[in-house]
Amino acid sequence: MAANPTPYAAHIDIGGLSKRFQHRPVLNGLSLTLNDGDLCILVGDNGAGKTTLLRILAGLVRPSQGEVSVCGSSPIGNPRIRRMIGYVGHQPMVYQDLTARENLVHYARLYGLAKGEEVVADAIAAFNMAGYQHQPVRTLSRGMQQRLSLARATLHNPAILLFDEPHTGLDQEAAAFFDQSLRRLNQPGRIILLAAHRPQRLLTVATHVAWLREGAISDHLPVTALGSAPLLNSYLQEVS
Amino acid sequence: MTGVLAYLAAVWQVFRKDIQVEWRGRQGIPVMLVFALMIVFLFNFALQLSPDLQAGLAAGLLWVSLAFASTLGLNRSISLERENNALDGLLLAPVDRSAVFFGKALGNFCFTSLVGLLLLPIVSLFYQQNLLRLPLAAVLLLGVAAYTSLGTLLSALSIQARTRDILLPVLLFPLALPILIAAVEATRGLLSGQTLAELSSWVYLILAGALLFNAAGLLFFEIILEE
Repeated sequence: MAANPTPYAAHIDIGGLSKRFQHRPVLNGLSLTLNDGDLCILVGDNGAGKTTLLRILAGLVRPSQGEVSVCGSSPIGNPRIRRMIGYVGHQPMVYQDLTARENLVHYARLYGLAKGEEVVADAIAAFNMAGYQHQPVRTLSRGMQQRLSLARATLHNPAILLFDEPHTGLDQEAAAFFDQSLRRLNQPGRIILLAAHRPQRLLTVATHVAWLREGAISDHLPVTALGSAPLLNSYLQEVS
Repeated sequence: MTGVLAYLAAVWQVFRKDIQVEWRGRQGIPVMLVFALMIVFLFNFALQLSPDLQAGLAAGLLWVSLAFASTLGLNRSISLERENNALDGLLLAPVDRSAVFFGKALGNFCFTSLVGLLLLPIVSLFYQQNLLRLPLAAVLLLGVAAYTSLGTLLSALSIQARTRDILLPVLLFPLALPILIAAVEATRGLLSGQTLAELSSWVYLILAGALLFNAAGLLFFEIILEE
């Protein structure tokens, strides 16, 4: 994979972001800034709005209010910005009847990648999927589907990577493989925002932690400064 | 790639993926065809009509069986995107989202058209009418284009509803009624010996429907899929 994912400076700037689903507020005046090279762990209880925030950043959900800027522009209805985003959600976003390789080729074509076959071959090698590439997705384990999802999300070398609870359902080996991949993906020119319910295992690789509470970011600080935030520290102990 | 070429490439890729998935799973076209055949058989044996009445019924029966079978195909097409949240994968792609609509609509059109064309000789046989005529095939393709573009749009609309499986036919049948009536009238006219020129008002109505529903897809597909 190339060292610099994008010619644009990776940057996320969110100001006064609110989202309501019908009359239920999920995000309420949330503000957050992430810079090039940040690997930020987004923590918060179930239902705190982590998924909603990630989906807004991915351009899948329209905010009710507030400003969202990804690499200088709003991701809503903006294909140019979507090209800079890779998103790994709860589901792998692939087709069960197609093989792992066919799914990746489909996405490479959809993203209009030059040398698509080459990019797919590299991704299969990078995520150690060579032995499974010709199997239909429905026969793959959860761990292997997660690798496929990672390969799909990083195929176009995005500047912004969004992960939503990526460890869910993974066994020890698969989780360790994900952590290893995360270290490899964390490079200059990229921002990684990762929502995690149990973030302890990621604190060694993360640069920042953001705590989402009552629809807003209550703390956002470098991992090295966690000692100065006793409430967040005790929350992290509690959920570990 | 320039903007237009990239857009067309995305439409083609969504369509190509649907063909690939159908080829692998073979769950769409065979089910649609069997369902349509069952309707043709059931009506034929249940009504026990005289040859004269049977001939009059052929046009209506062709379109009713095709509309019902197509609805099955439309449900299958959108449930494919719901599985594993694959639709999000399409929506994340750096292309105008209307390209996803046209790709899906093209796939639905091809699957339903294939079933329709296969139905023609069977309906001809059971209802003692020669439906194997080029103008009739043209009306069939035009009607299917209008019906499936509306169906693709409405299936996207129903995707987030809890009652999505029953919501699609409930929305689709009333809105598609003018198109179905025009298609039945044009087909009946052709079977009674009229030319396409004589039936132009019905044909134009179907054409207007096809253009209107595709324009709606172009303009509203992104809004419909937004949360």
